[in-house]
Amino acid sequence: MTGAQELLDDAACGLARTSADGVFLYVNRTFCDWVGYGGDELCGRRKMQELLTMGGRIFHQTHWHPLLQMQGSVSEVKLEIVHRDGHTIPMVMNAIRRDGGGGPVHDIAVYVARDRDTYERELLLSRKKLEELVAEATRLQLELQDRVLFAEQMVGIVSHDLRNPLSTIQMGAALLSRGEATSNQLRVLGRVSRAAQRANRLITDLLDFTQARMGRGISILPQPMDLRATISDVVEELVMAYPGRRLVHRHEGASHCVGDSDRLSQLVGNLVSNAMAYGQTDGVVTVHSSVGQSTFTLAVHNMGTAIPAQIQPMLFRPMVRGAGDAHSGSGVGLGLFIVAEIAKAHGGTVSLESSAEFGTTFSTVLPLAT
Amino acid sequence: MSLQRRNNVQVSGAGPNTMFLAHGFGCDQNMWRLLQPVYAKRYRTVLFDLVGAGNSDLSAYDKERYGTLHGYADDIVEIAREFGAGRNIFVGHSVSAMIGLLADLKAPGLFAAHAMVGPSPCYINDGDYFGGFTRKDIEGLLETLESNYLGWSSTMAPAIMGAPERPELGTELTNSFCRTDPEIAKQFARATFLSDHRADLARLQTPALILQCSDDMIAPLAVGEYMQRALPRGTLKVIRNVGHCPHLSEPGVSSGAIDEFLAEQGL
Repeated sequence: MTGAQELLDDAACGLARTSADGVFLYVNRTFCDWVGYGGDELCGRRKMQELLTMGGRIFHQTHWHPLLQMQGSVSEVKLEIVHRDGHTIPMVMNAIRRDGGGGPVHDIAVYVARDRDTYERELLLSRKKLEELVAEATRLQLELQDRVLFAEQMVGIVSHDLRNPLSTIQMGAALLSRGEATSNQLRVLGRVSRAAQRANRLITDLLDFTQARMGRGISILPQPMDLRATISDVVEELVMAYPGRRLVHRHEGASHCVGDSDRLSQLVGNLVSNAMAYGQTDGVVTVHSSVGQSTFTLAVHNMGTAIPAQIQPMLFRPMVRGAGDAHSGSGVGLGLFIVAEIAKAHGGTVSLESSAEFGTTFSTVLPLAT
Repeated sequence: MSLQRRNNVQVSGAGPNTMFLAHGFGCDQNMWRLLQPVYAKRYRTVLFDLVGAGNSDLSAYDKERYGTLHGYADDIVEIAREFGAGRNIFVGHSVSAMIGLLADLKAPGLFAAHAMVGPSPCYINDGDYFGGFTRKDIEGLLETLESNYLGWSSTMAPAIMGAPERPELGTELTNSFCRTDPEIAKQFARATFLSDHRADLARLQTPALILQCSDDMIAPLAVGEYMQRALPRGTLKVIRNVGHCPHLSEPGVSSGAIDEFLAEQGL
């Protein structure tokens, strides 16, 4: 009997019995030692909830108490007990509700959980830190998206606004060359005119790029057209634009197809501009056009250094340029992206083959009827 | 999503009028396990869990919507419109008493009477007003909640599903009646204990019973008295009870007080 009493009094956990209202009826020595009160100060005089912190008391009322009423027990609740001298002790508690003869009583077992409490606080702290980092990353990402959008809109607006002054320059050069200009002046005017044309092409590319990036894609207006004549005209114009370079056109098969002739001219212009920039300067650049059974093809070939296989798939992304060509100043890296967009708008595809032996060929294959 | 699933709505009982029983902060509709069977004999009864509590659909929890009590009140209006029949009585425990009041103001005429069990329009002391708590107390509660997930875990939920009425099923159900996602519990605690709806009291035209416990730290006597002064048609009834859940600890006295009030309203 004394052994059992000892076991209760000096148990490895604090034990307490309270009335349903929480008034202490029995406490063991371990409990008293932990909370700093004598048994006579607790029993019949204090309530369990009075030893809790304010937050703990609310929790006791809103969770602990109803749980004991509803399921007859509570387990693993962690609350802070305020020691007699004012400091708090984290404790884990189990309780059961039972009939004590004169009404229901609550039997409670508690143990001190300082280490667990410290560990949990550290976990909570690192979770908080993580949440802050995630919030920061999300904020930065949104800011970045904003900036990208702004930059793209800016590019669109500026490109659009540059068109007017450029057309004034072009018209001015054309008017002057009709007047009485010396041969030297005519040569300068030719350069002015070609530079303005090139600037215009870049602007068109930029506008198409922003349009494609804003999610609308490149718009096309497919109509029945004469492929041979259209490409032939484009090549003739391009020959003028690249004085001193050799550019030829070859056509196979029928002439009729359906497509947007302005866009297809732009596509050929971009591929030729690419071939002129990256191809061998003394080689021939060849534009092939052909109409087959169900598709028609536009291809541009040049001799020169092969494009390394690993960068080939990236070439059709915007802002990507061939290696070692930053000095060429041939554009901002939108040409091939726009080629791919125009092909896509027609329901077609672009591909390329490149080797030192046979040179480089960019081919677009487009369906005959869009 | 169906309201039934979202709020785990359980309709039973029979009678010409409908009684809605709304649980408070902390647990779920099981809190009405002693009163609901009593009322099911006379009323059509509608039990439900607030979104985020009990077996409500946690995926329906929206931080914005439920950031204040108004989100919960909007839910009550929806539930009362879908499941109401005859005259509607709203019995709200604790914070749900105020949620019911807000729902009434959003849809005047939806409810014929309110029985408010341990209500408080504002928990935090403010000048002459005694709500019982300081802001620091509430911060302490949030900390306590953080370290007490009480049977909540993402893997545990399915095991509990469908068996809340059978506690004899054993240890798996331990603490499940107060099971809440810790994040949601914290936000609900904020929405509840930082709310101040004192200004709304004067607008309630529906008769309301204030069922006040003699010794309740969550809703002290002074709060009940304040509510009676502020509510145009409020009736204060103080019952002898220690704690905040008289419907669990003193079910007979509680239903007696509610019956008397409802009889006065002809319900």
